[in-house]
Amino acid sequence: MSADWDVAVVGAGAAGLTAARVAAGAGLRVVAYERLGPGGQLVNLTTLHDHPGGTGPELTAALTAAAEGAGVRLAYAEVTRVQPGPPTRLTTSEGEVTARVVVVAAGLSPGRLGLPGEAELAGRGVSTCAACDGPLFRGRPVAVVGDDEWTATEALELAGHATAVTVLVPGEPRWSAARDRLLAAQQRVEVLTGAAVTALRGEGALSGVAVRTADGERELAVAGVFPFVGRRGPGGLVEGLAADADGRLVPSAGVLVAGDARAGADQTLAAAEADGRAAGEAAVAALAAGAGSLRVVDPTHGVRPEPAGAGAVAASTAAWTDVALFTNSKPNATELLRGLGGRLQAHWALPELGFAAKESASVAADPDQIDWLAQRFKMVLVAVGD
Amino acid sequence: MELERRGVVAPLVVTETFLPLVQAQARARRVDPRLLVVPHPVGGLTPDELAGRVEGAAGDLLRMADEARGRP
Repeated sequence: MSADWDVAVVGAGAAGLTAARVAAGAGLRVVAYERLGPGGQLVNLTTLHDHPGGTGPELTAALTAAAEGAGVRLAYAEVTRVQPGPPTRLTTSEGEVTARVVVVAAGLSPGRLGLPGEAELAGRGVSTCAACDGPLFRGRPVAVVGDDEWTATEALELAGHATAVTVLVPGEPRWSAARDRLLAAQQRVEVLTGAAVTALRGEGALSGVAVRTADGERELAVAGVFPFVGRRGPGGLVEGLAADADGRLVPSAGVLVAGDARAGADQTLAAAEADGRAAGEAAVAALAAGAGSLRVVDPTHGVRPEPAGAGAVAASTAAWTDVALFTNSKPNATELLRGLGGRLQAHWALPELGFAAKESASVAADPDQIDWLAQRFKMVLVAVGD
Repeated sequence: MELERRGVVAPLVVTETFLPLVQAQARARRVDPRLLVVPHPVGGLTPDELAGRVEGAAGDLLRMADEARGRP
């Protein structure tokens, strides 16, 4: 059976990067797909409460370096469909590829309350990333909605910023005893069980939520709400693969599932890494079994990636007076860029500065926008990435 | 990072917290970006605090820009 890759990993979070590293470490040709950048949910955590890996971004960097060091190819594309093989076919935003084994480690979708006005208030009080948006709520009260490990983790993160963090648990908490102790130790955190959010309040910006408990309905004045309910696994991504009620996949022969995307997975970092390791080892075992006594050897294994600058194109023909700002629209990112751009404008006596913005930090830049910036400007100050 | 690949001088403003992640992404994308590092966080700062971030990074930006342009 010939295929583009021995192993294709869908998702480059903790589970995916670990699975990819283990498989590549055994000499297999491994690609890991991620839509935007490596890290998955890890990127959202500035504090890791159950892991010695430093911050989320630091651990992401370490996992990425280890995977790349083992020979994993990171590909920035969205996988939209997986058809089990052999070989397994993956439809991606960059075209179709084949792999002998696939590991799905795509994690879960962002939380969602499913209430009227939620979409309009996204970024205006409704958020699913405490590390990204937590500082916006410094000195103000917030609510977190959910019952799992991530709910507790994000509540702990927010306790470092907000004056009060009310954790609204729809039923009873499912988080671990260790998380429970950490939450109990936080004076700013209150956990309310049997609490359902029934409405969002506020015009233009969130001002509160309506909460129903066994004692009746009440209003909770909060500037931010962080939902971790309504998260769904990648159900439907893999043709013919069963999923639970939350869309989390049930592994079967030929398709490995790791991390939060797997039905029944513990939603902890340690569990995700262990799951990833097991999936990587299972991929190696599956291919070794299929190869009989032949060992699969990747002729490029150990070969360093192409040097920096490879693939670069000719420089823009724009002049040094053509300078622009490109913001990811995160809170204060545009203001920071304008401040820095103003200093450069004065320093170089520039008549004006160009400006472009991504709609959201959580999506990749529009290729047309990148084309326009590359053709029109000599220098672009970016906040941040892409 | 894509802009640098296409010949545009594109300094990235990044907070200290997200620096390792940006560096990892850069390695994965085989690019060597110009990085302008500021303290974390940026969101939620007051105008005065934001002005401090600008002040702290402006010197590096101007040096980086002059160097790219070939000016002393």
